[in-house]
Amino acid sequence: MKIICIIKQVPDAEARIRSTAAGIDLEGVTFVIDGMDEYGVEQALRIRESGVEAEIIAVALGPKRYEEAIRTALAMGADRAIHLETEEAFDPITQAKLLAKVVGEEAADLLLVGGKEADWDSAALGAATAEALGWPHSDWTTELELTANSAKVTHDADEGSEVLTLPLPAVITTQQGLNEPRYPTLPNIMKAKRKELKKLSLDDVGGAVSKIVILKQEIQTRERLNKIIEGDPMEAAQQLVKLLQQDKVI
Amino acid sequence: MLDYFQVDPLFDNEAQQTRAAARKFLDGEVMPHIRDWFEEAYLPTGLAKSFGDMGFFGANLPVEYGCAGLNNIAYGLLMYELERIDSGIRSFASVQGALVMYPIYAYGSEEQKNHYLPKLASGEMIGCFGLTEADGGSDPGAMKTRARKEGSHYVLNGSKMWITNGNIADIALVWAKCEDEVIRGFIVPTNAAGFSANKIKHKMSLRASVTSELVLEDVRVDQNQLLPQVEGLKGPLGCLTQARYGIAWGALGALEAVYYEALEFAQSRITFGKPIASRQLVQHKLVEMVSEHSKGLLLAHRLGMLKDSGQMHYAQVSLAKRNNVRVALEAARSAREILGGSGITVEYSAIRHMLNLETVDTYEGTFDIHTLIVGRDLTGLGALD
Repeated sequence: MKIICIIKQVPDAEARIRSTAAGIDLEGVTFVIDGMDEYGVEQALRIRESGVEAEIIAVALGPKRYEEAIRTALAMGADRAIHLETEEAFDPITQAKLLAKVVGEEAADLLLVGGKEADWDSAALGAATAEALGWPHSDWTTELELTANSAKVTHDADEGSEVLTLPLPAVITTQQGLNEPRYPTLPNIMKAKRKELKKLSLDDVGGAVSKIVILKQEIQTRERLNKIIEGDPMEAAQQLVKLLQQDKVI
Repeated sequence: MLDYFQVDPLFDNEAQQTRAAARKFLDGEVMPHIRDWFEEAYLPTGLAKSFGDMGFFGANLPVEYGCAGLNNIAYGLLMYELERIDSGIRSFASVQGALVMYPIYAYGSEEQKNHYLPKLASGEMIGCFGLTEADGGSDPGAMKTRARKEGSHYVLNGSKMWITNGNIADIALVWAKCEDEVIRGFIVPTNAAGFSANKIKHKMSLRASVTSELVLEDVRVDQNQLLPQVEGLKGPLGCLTQARYGIAWGALGALEAVYYEALEFAQSRITFGKPIASRQLVQHKLVEMVSEHSKGLLLAHRLGMLKDSGQMHYAQVSLAKRNNVRVALEAARSAREILGGSGITVEYSAIRHMLNLETVDTYEGTFDIHTLIVGRDLTGLGALD
């Protein structure tokens, strides 16, 4: 079988990201493979290690720097990769249409997508890709078991979970708890250098125009008052209550 | 990574991936425990296998012997990441790689390489390096350990001191003087009759690392255990150049760790109504740390390029080891000072790194010895002769 894992690259969780008038400043930020996508790659590897004959392909849509995240997926154990390279930013629906073309051409049996993007917090890509492909979809998946022509999954639902079966081909989006991703080892990083990384341009998949235009981006910041109330505890408490009322906290 | 001068774009993809993978693994698996290991003077036995699985041992040696085959800058960054956790953890890996695997690779027979290197790379086998003796680490040529030929065997007698991994090693790379007064290297199985290792206790440095005395009393090894491709002091000194190269990178990892800790502490510690980071004396300390880290990283990067192109000279390695370890040690002392009272507990890493770096400044050639190596190279006059 053929398993495709969609890969995104996101700023490292510890990266200090600045917001400027021009937008988000990513200069000097360390980027990593999205943790939710790592669950997908790990699950594909586990399917293969359980004895299923499978080719695992990492597919990414994004700028040139995404190569590093793709190499991480290859170092974890993916067999080859396809990078649909563009410096343009697209909304999830347009991204899904572009990715669906690649997935369709590869005639994959299973598509694993990160449940939520660590940078923009969007959970739309997996569902939108399933829609574009016309495939069934399980979101927030915490368990996945394959039979000959179907997938049995456990996925999170509001205040509980559901167990479903889906005919293959299907789209599975990941959730924390699906597995514990392995660390890429140094020998596998070296082997990954020799694995195929095919580059495609937007023209190769028919081009696209984003439906959504981003006008402004900013980062939520928490400003602290750093006010210390001095003096007698009784008076200080009264002053604190007054301040909290003034700012409509209480 | 602390990278004030944007050195990162100078690293190739292999080096960047190595650093990222090593940091992720070490932050996940080692960092949460290192304080306890240091305090309890403990090195878990399982670490050898997980380091082996990750490819941390002899990572710059060829793939055909089961190693990762990294370039030397990627290897340097691995040492950086290991020492960012703890100098003892870096020592565990660099002794195995640079002082045990490297001499087998560089001076061993093909049979020795095929037999030992894959097992050492996987962590199935642990090695130690026996050069230093109790009477003076800086003068290895004066060693008293002897090897006497008896038929198809050599008989070794003597003792070695300050040997990292000594008590946990399966093999010891022992350097001994033969009857012709020439120093040669031997791969000695530690279960050989007459071989014993005594753990050195009461250390206040490198506590999460095993340090031992090795005693050899009529230890018989087959002549095939002799490293055939090298004779004389250049054998062990060649290994030390490899290890010192890694230390020049590693020390900067420790510097990064203490810098970030001191910075964070200084920004949140309020005295006289303001964070202490706003004070000139504290800023001076922080600036010195970043200034020395930036220079050291550029030095290490250039040294790696020279090593990869086969142009690296041992005196350059001495200069880099001497400089980078000393600046890291001074940064750790400054960080400890910024942390005030908190700095004396191992709840914070500054004092652990500071104590460790005292050893790193001493072993693999002391600061003063490296001064004299570079001094001799500059003047053509040996101060130790």
